[in-house]
Amino acid sequence: MARKYDQLFETVRQNVDEVDVHALKAAIESTSSKPIVIDVRERDEWEQGHVPGARFIPRGFLEMRIEEQVPEKDQPVYLYCAGGVRSIFAAQALQQLGYENAISVSGGFGSWKDAGYRFDIPRQWTPDQRQRYSRHFLIPEVGEGGQGKLLDAKVLMIGAGGLGSPAALYLAAAGVGKIGIVDSDEVDLSNLQRQILHSTARVGEPKTESARTFINQLNSDVEVVGIQERLNADNVLDLVADYDIVVNGADNFATRYLLNDACVVLDKPIVDGSIFRFEGQVTVYKPGEGPCYRCMFPEPPPADLAPT
Amino acid sequence: MLPGVIGVLQATEVIKLILGQGDPLIGRLLTFDALESSFRVLRVGRDAECPACGEHAHLDASQVKDMDYQISCALPIAGD
Repeated sequence: MARKYDQLFETVRQNVDEVDVHALKAAIESTSSKPIVIDVRERDEWEQGHVPGARFIPRGFLEMRIEEQVPEKDQPVYLYCAGGVRSIFAAQALQQLGYENAISVSGGFGSWKDAGYRFDIPRQWTPDQRQRYSRHFLIPEVGEGGQGKLLDAKVLMIGAGGLGSPAALYLAAAGVGKIGIVDSDEVDLSNLQRQILHSTARVGEPKTESARTFINQLNSDVEVVGIQERLNADNVLDLVADYDIVVNGADNFATRYLLNDACVVLDKPIVDGSIFRFEGQVTVYKPGEGPCYRCMFPEPPPADLAPT
Repeated sequence: MLPGVIGVLQATEVIKLILGQGDPLIGRLLTFDALESSFRVLRVGRDAECPACGEHAHLDASQVKDMDYQISCALPIAGD
């Protein structure tokens, strides 16, 4: 039996291109192209560590999943396993599916580690998290890597009102790890017609507390930081500095200029939204990449023209 | 309903920025008219003379701290 396997392996190997881990590293670091690297090992092996940027498709699922993940069949696809054997057969399978450049990495992840190259250890998901984010894991644009980014992200919401309510709820549901909420108001019955983060039972509570209650019930992975203050020139820089992205749901010009200036100074993007009667607007102010609020409105309009 | 539409669009932009996916609304203003049921996208450009982020702007933390946003919000024009 062993002889037959040896013969099979040698025959397959002769028809498969191989590179060593040093060539793989050079390919990953080359600026001209971003190669596709696929880890064909089993999940428990992947969880111990993998080549940075590699995608995880266990050998048993390779033929079924590869065309969805890598539709372009002329691109180089580097395959690695633990020692360079399974990846030979994986490369043969891709050749049979029409991939013109399926390359097996000889020595596999073992050689990569022995060479002292950096590797990533994937985030460990609890069974609940695997279930909660399972639909995200299935989307190539999110996946486990993207979900990790969401959980590591820190978003500051200015206002827990009409715009902040739905935005905060969806961000919390999606698993954004830290949500700061700046709002000095309390929940009023007249808010509930549109501010879906709050409830009748919580009328009179600070909006930051009401928001925390709802978000904790929705997703306990999310850390809610309530800041029951008005945003002003004294606190804006310290608040914004702790976050990656600011979502503006405040409806006045002073706050827009204040936030804009702080975010230009601190180089943070603002996702701005506004509503006037039956019309709404959304835009993103990202310093250095596009206009800021003052590019469009260098100075505030006269008070009698300003909608509140 | 309108705040829900706009707030969820904002959340979507946040997710795109975090994931580094797609084309966020940088330099574009998306408008939604609920009565017409129509979306429009307007291109908006940077202003080289912008007092906050323009070529000659020199906005810093101390200016933000010292400004009275409730009264003026007006930055001195660069070069003044």
